[in-house]
Amino acid sequence: MYGGGNTFEGVKTDSVAKEDLVKLAEFEARIARGEKIEPADWMPELYRKQLIRMIEQHGHSEIIGALPEGTWITRAPGFKRKMALMAKVQDEVGHAQLLYSAAETLGKSREQMIDDLITGKSKYSNIFNYPTFTWADCCFISWLVDAGAIVNQLANAKGSYGPYCRALERICAEESFHLKYGHHCVIYLAAGTTKQRQMFQEALNRWWPPMMHFFGPSDKISTHTEVLMRWKVKMGTNDEMRNQFLDMYVPKIRELGFTIPDPNLKKNTTTNKWEYTEPDWEEFKRVINGGGPCNKERLEVRRIAEERGKWVREALKSSTTAYVTPLA
Amino acid sequence: MNEIGLKELLYKMADDLLILGHRNSEWTGMGPLLEEDIAFSSMAQDKVGQSLALYTILHQLGEQDPDTVAFTRNAGQFHNCILVELPNQEYDFSLIRHFLFDMADALRWEMLTQSSYEPLSLLAKKVRGELRYHTLHATTWMKQLGSATETSIARLQQSLTTVTPFALAIFEESPYEKEIIESGVFEGEKVLMEKWKLKIADVISQTQLMLPDWKTITPMLGGRTGKHSEHLQPMLEEMSEVFRIDPTAEW
Amino acid sequence: MDSLDPRVLRLPKVGEPGVVQPKVALDQFGSFEVFVQPREGKPFQHEGIVHSPNIELAYVLAKETFTRRFTCTSLYVVETRNVFVSPLTDGNRNVYDLIAAVPASGEKEDYEVYHLQKRGKQHVHVGSVKAGGLEEAMSMAKLAFNAGGIYNVWTIRHSDIRFTKPEELDLWTTLPEKRFRDAADYKGGDKLKNFLEKRKML
Repeated sequence: MYGGGNTFEGVKTDSVAKEDLVKLAEFEARIARGEKIEPADWMPELYRKQLIRMIEQHGHSEIIGALPEGTWITRAPGFKRKMALMAKVQDEVGHAQLLYSAAETLGKSREQMIDDLITGKSKYSNIFNYPTFTWADCCFISWLVDAGAIVNQLANAKGSYGPYCRALERICAEESFHLKYGHHCVIYLAAGTTKQRQMFQEALNRWWPPMMHFFGPSDKISTHTEVLMRWKVKMGTNDEMRNQFLDMYVPKIRELGFTIPDPNLKKNTTTNKWEYTEPDWEEFKRVINGGGPCNKERLEVRRIAEERGKWVREALKSSTTAYVTPLA
Repeated sequence: MNEIGLKELLYKMADDLLILGHRNSEWTGMGPLLEEDIAFSSMAQDKVGQSLALYTILHQLGEQDPDTVAFTRNAGQFHNCILVELPNQEYDFSLIRHFLFDMADALRWEMLTQSSYEPLSLLAKKVRGELRYHTLHATTWMKQLGSATETSIARLQQSLTTVTPFALAIFEESPYEKEIIESGVFEGEKVLMEKWKLKIADVISQTQLMLPDWKTITPMLGGRTGKHSEHLQPMLEEMSEVFRIDPTAEW
Repeated sequence: MDSLDPRVLRLPKVGEPGVVQPKVALDQFGSFEVFVQPREGKPFQHEGIVHSPNIELAYVLAKETFTRRFTCTSLYVVETRNVFVSPLTDGNRNVYDLIAAVPASGEKEDYEVYHLQKRGKQHVHVGSVKAGGLEEAMSMAKLAFNAGGIYNVWTIRHSDIRFTKPEELDLWTTLPEKRFRDAADYKGGDKLKNFLEKRKML
């Protein structure tokens, strides 16, 4: 589950000028023809760097995203929910596995990626730095955070890098289960008792602001790098993704009789764009830089998990193993 | 056929699988390797799924529906062996429990493919492939970690020693053992235990681990009659935390 | 650690909070390529990789990493470094045009051959050849399977592969019944319709 556009920083494009112009032209022609780039192809340094960053962040978001929902596995009400949630959180771990593998084909080792996650050097989706207070929070994530992720992932699946696209195809197929499951959970809360409805309304109130942050800073304040769009690394702007999500899900939330906690949220029928209260980007920045309610816990849990598993991995490490980059 | 005896057999199997599936699922997202995290979760799902299938048979025999049975009973009403309710501890403990329990479980299901009670023999034939995976997974890890480094061997040995008295209690006999055997529903815990001892001795002999002398071990009995460790009740409370907000609600 | 998560509250104290021990090389092991046959009669295709210390465990781990849903009839794994890879072409260039004939040598063994027929797609098994080595296998593959329009070829020595054993073919029998992993098992339509009708009446 990943919402893309995670930072404000612009991208330094200086390195592009130093590339071999003939190779660069071939590379761009291949993308323009709609052909995918494969690991063995020549690629500009900036392309490789940005893809590693993006795929790695996506992978981190999956493994960290397994935590706020994972906590409800042991408490899910009834067999149907229990088994579904076990399978869903497992899928998130599986997505991390797929994404790390795709990033590896670009030359960064899984060891380095995990280290960079735990030390805080690489980022992950900000939304997972918030706690899940009740079962309804967990349902919010399963339905709407996954819905947001799908908007982003479907766009990225049309990108130019073969291994990332293949991983995303598999991921999107699994996410369709997550989305249906999440919606199913919320329908049951909506049609349930007063207490159940109230639980979801409260979750919606808590999660709406981070949900608006999910797609990244507004286009007005974030930098766009035209070259990354041309190379099909970035497939849409943050505001486009956010708008698409609102288009698809605001009616579905309202249909269930819940109130989205933003009095200014409405669709402008002339521009066909959603208008809303500007999300608090200072809060977003603060949370990205470690100041959210759960940043510390999330990284600490990952650190402990890695440390506890160390003896297992050390025991099985063979002296004959040699690392080679995975193929595809 | 003795229906009380049959129900007792179904309950203890279902409860074992539910509780162990629940315990093993606590590792999701915290395993020692991403790929192993996924594998361990799948087996936990299989176990919970198998328990649901057994509770469904019980429901057809007139017991309450699976959700009510699983999410509203207290510890004293559970028939699982104490082994499965113990907290996870470190991975060596979870692996040893997985190995000792799943080897017994696979043999039990294998024996049940011959059961005179058709719903059980059909289910046993169906889940064969799942059990094959669970035992393949367990024996592969045992063979590898059980002959790897000093640390891994010592850890597994320590857990093996701790867990065996609980594992022996998997085979705690039911008060209806005789009727169950005579009616051809199940060959009985004694036969199962002997088969199990041979099977695990075979795997352990391919490692540097030592099985304890069975004669010196006192099985930690009681689970089958509802006498549990202090760990089960809190686990059940956590499991039913949401369900109990309103047991009549649909979640 | 103070947390809302009961699982987190149960975690043991390990090391120093916030102090990260950097991973050593190969902490995550080497990689193995995974091939899956989704249905009887379909060719095996490449699905991705698993990290594993050895091939036997790679097989065990690949099963749940890549075949948790839908259908599967068989699976196999091979260590990444045992896959011999041809150059990669694009546009109208057939990769077999770049593969030279290799004189036969040594004892013949079986080699499996895989094609990339469209960039961005997966490598698919096309058949096997007998050869005295990986490079020779590739030139044999050119004779056997060169239908043109191929962008990349892999050859793998048959004996380097951990196949599914005949007695393991039942590993996937309950897979189609695991409906709880399937989007189609979460139809909320009727519940939603009833709910909306009830709301309208209020």
